[in-house]
Amino acid sequence: MPRLQVLQGTLDLIVLRTLHTMGPQHAYTIATRLEQLSEDLLRLNQGTLYPALVRLEQQGSIKGSWGKTEKNREAKFYAITKAGQKLLEEETLRWRQMSGLVDKLLCES
Amino acid sequence: MRELRRAFAKLRNLFFPGRAEHDLAREVSAHLTLLQDDYQQRGMSAEEARLAARRAYGGVEQAKELHREERSFLWIEQAAQDFRHALRGLARTPSFALLAVIALALGIGVNAALFTTYNAVALKPLPVADPDRVVRMERWMASHNLGPNQYGFSYPEYLYTREHSRSFSNRPFSSMVAASWAIALPAGTGQMVSANYFADLGIQPLLGRGFLPDEDQTPGGSPVVVIAYQFWKRQFASDSRAIGQTIKLQGTAFTIIGVAPPEFTGTPESPSRVDFWAPLSMQAQLTPGQNWLSEPDQKHFQIFARLEPQADRRAAQAQTDLLIRQFATTYVELDKTTAVTLQRTSYFPNTDDIRFRALAAALMLIVGLVLFVACANVGNMLLARGAARRHEINTRLALGASRGRVMRQLLTESLLLSSLGGFAGLVCSMWATKLLGVTLQQTALLAGGDLTSIDWSPDGRVLVYVVVISLAAGVFFGLSPALRFTKPESTTRGQIAGSRLRNFLVASQVTVSVLLLAIAGLLARGLIRSQTAEPGFRTSDVFLVAADFGNFGTDPAKAIARETRLAERLRGRPEIASVGLGGLPFSGTWSMEMSAGQPPHRSQGRTLASYASDTYFDTLEISLLRGRGFTPQEAGGSQPLAIISESTAKRFFPAGNPLGQYVSLDMDYSGALTDFQVIGVVRDVRFANLTRVDPAHVYLPFGLARKHIFAGLLIRIRGDQQQAFQAVETTTDAFDRDLTPSLHLLNLDQTVIESQRAISRMFATLAAILAALALTLAGVGIYGVVSYLVSQRTREIGVRITMGATAWNVWTNVIVGGMRPVFFGLVLGLLLAGGLSTVLHQTLVFPGSTDFLYGVPFYDPLTFTTLICFVLGVAAVSSAVPARRAVRVDPMVALRYE
Repeated sequence: MPRLQVLQGTLDLIVLRTLHTMGPQHAYTIATRLEQLSEDLLRLNQGTLYPALVRLEQQGSIKGSWGKTEKNREAKFYAITKAGQKLLEEETLRWRQMSGLVDKLLCES
Repeated sequence: MRELRRAFAKLRNLFFPGRAEHDLAREVSAHLTLLQDDYQQRGMSAEEARLAARRAYGGVEQAKELHREERSFLWIEQAAQDFRHALRGLARTPSFALLAVIALALGIGVNAALFTTYNAVALKPLPVADPDRVVRMERWMASHNLGPNQYGFSYPEYLYTREHSRSFSNRPFSSMVAASWAIALPAGTGQMVSANYFADLGIQPLLGRGFLPDEDQTPGGSPVVVIAYQFWKRQFASDSRAIGQTIKLQGTAFTIIGVAPPEFTGTPESPSRVDFWAPLSMQAQLTPGQNWLSEPDQKHFQIFARLEPQADRRAAQAQTDLLIRQFATTYVELDKTTAVTLQRTSYFPNTDDIRFRALAAALMLIVGLVLFVACANVGNMLLARGAARRHEINTRLALGASRGRVMRQLLTESLLLSSLGGFAGLVCSMWATKLLGVTLQQTALLAGGDLTSIDWSPDGRVLVYVVVISLAAGVFFGLSPALRFTKPESTTRGQIAGSRLRNFLVASQVTVSVLLLAIAGLLARGLIRSQTAEPGFRTSDVFLVAADFGNFGTDPAKAIARETRLAERLRGRPEIASVGLGGLPFSGTWSMEMSAGQPPHRSQGRTLASYASDTYFDTLEISLLRGRGFTPQEAGGSQPLAIISESTAKRFFPAGNPLGQYVSLDMDYSGALTDFQVIGVVRDVRFANLTRVDPAHVYLPFGLARKHIFAGLLIRIRGDQQQAFQAVETTTDAFDRDLTPSLHLLNLDQTVIESQRAISRMFATLAAILAALALTLAGVGIYGVVSYLVSQRTREIGVRITMGATAWNVWTNVIVGGMRPVFFGLVLGLLLAGGLSTVLHQTLVFPGSTDFLYGVPFYDPLTFTTLICFVLGVAAVSSAVPARRAVRVDPMVALRYE
């Protein structure tokens, strides 16, 4: 089965949702979590996560701060902010509407 | 809000990229460490885990680049980078940079100079308030007469239009202003204006006040003037006490009530300096003996109007047209008005005249070609340079720079060059415009005009123009080299395409250079002739006796009779050899349709016409070739007789003897023909202007002159000039004391001929500058490109010589090869130049039009031969020099040459 490409614009939603459910995380866990969830269906170079992170951080939706992992490695932890929660709600709603519409269209025939 | 926040963050990163970059590096390395830890935990060795981590992560540099792109305005950062790179690149090759900038500065400079001039005279609006809503009325006449006459309206017309335009439900104008033509008085030149002139044009006097609303009401009742800033500075040394003082104009004392602001220089109908403005109620005092205020055919006023804010210009024009033509039915119009239009105001009134536009367009085209050659030169130099930089570009492409990125960098370089060129060009043009302004002013002074009030300084429009042409030039010469050098692989095909491009550039450059050289060469040669062109009649001791005979008065016939009687008196004086009445050379032309001959061989065409008395030909020493001149009775009578010029005889009577035959003239442009019997043929002269022999000229008896146009009293003196002047003055004094104050003598040599020569000299200077520019650019350009193309073939020449080719073989091969595009361009350029001269030739169908070539044939063999020799010579030398070097080189060295 071919791997899925990340749909344009959905990466932001995925990152926000991950941070919302799992609490502050660093880039590596976000990437790993993504792979696990999709059961390797969705695979991306971990480096490509960075543009989404910087975009969200500049918007003020997430906030990054340096900290230590349990193994005492240094890493930058990202946490969702209030503005981020709001964006997540908006985006989730939009996504639901969109996917509902596409579902309906596909079921019709 | 979110996006705004992001933009701020991006900006911060643009100016302080250090922190974000450091952060990113730290994060990436932390990420990799975590990945590696993970893999090691799954049992990989440290080295294996490190590699696996890298794989999982993807390209580190690409990820960083994506990050940079996301976090900052990358394009700005890159543009700055490209800019620095381009600066360094140019600094490394200063001679190239200097040459390119000079070429561009010349090209852009001439364009900017011309545009600045055009802007000053045609685009800048009059310095009135809200100039976009101010219009000038223009009249179109049945005679198709063009020029300042088109702005002549009578005062009754003004009153009628003003009154009736108010009655329209959608009132077109909020105000209308009348301003007379500039009248030259000994004390200064002035305009007579309606009292609302300053108030409604929105001009605040610098000192004092403008006119009061009722100051144009009572005839002779308001002897007040507003003076111009320059006049105030000159005559009153900028003293504020000038207000309240009086100046004497035509014998009446006028009180100075105000000084106009420096930027307002009046609204004359043709370029001249205005020193004062007086209310039009003072007309009888300022131009005595005439009645401009109540005669409907005394058209000496211009009408300006301010459009209502919501008024549509087209509708306003239709309404004005209707009103003026309605008014025309109330009196007999000498020259029927066919239409009235509203024109935007600019310094030169006639800028929408088709002839002015054609001249401007032609000049723009010529200087545009200069810029084209300059661009082609720089483009070629870039191509040559690019070949040397190929290695660098390929390396960059190989290291992963995208094609667009490299192209952007190359284009930045050409834009930098063109911007530098544009800046230098602008500086040059400011200087050139000043020079041009001075030359134009001198010419204008000789022609009776004055341009001192033109503001030559460049404004925003000029700046925009220079920026636009500079950038366009940069893209124009930079694009094709940039496209070519970034082609994915430099295959042989690419190289062939490249040499094709270069050949095309050489050919087009030669074409344009030939065209420029042909234009400049022909002009220059024609104008050299102008300095020696002889009018064909006596000028050095011939004088026009000018005085106010009442020329503009209500009864032209009376003025003519008065002039004729004075001529009789002068005739007997021993100091005066000959006295004639008739057409005044070089002072304007009167041309009309003429036909002659019997129906099957009837010839038709335009001819110049003028009046002549019995002694006119003797005064000007125009010799009679056949037949006879007018007898005194005929000259003073109204018999329909004519004397024609030699060329007229040849053209209209090709077969037979014109004497006794008839010529039919359309005297009043109505299509009704009047027949005149030919009684004599005289030698050809240059009457209309010094540039050409009149193609056709008919002299009619002076007695037929009804209007006093372009004619006057001419005398040829004998002996000492002072004594002759004395004689004229005493005779005039004895004849009519009223004439003496306005009496003056004008010498044709000193006035008209000198001014025509001066105009020609100015054109010659311009043509010479153009020719010098064309020669430099063409020479440098052709040399640079051709010699480069040949030097590229050094290696090939080495091979040929190794294979046994003789030096002669190589010579012919290389030179002929190098010359092929030159030949091609030469032929094309000559064809274009020929076409252009044919078009120019068409303008000569009007007998009065100026021949800038002064009779040099449009296919002047001397100009064209010199031109061909020059272009071929430059091309030959430029291919011979590198070819010689190549032939002399040791073949082994040549083979390694790259």
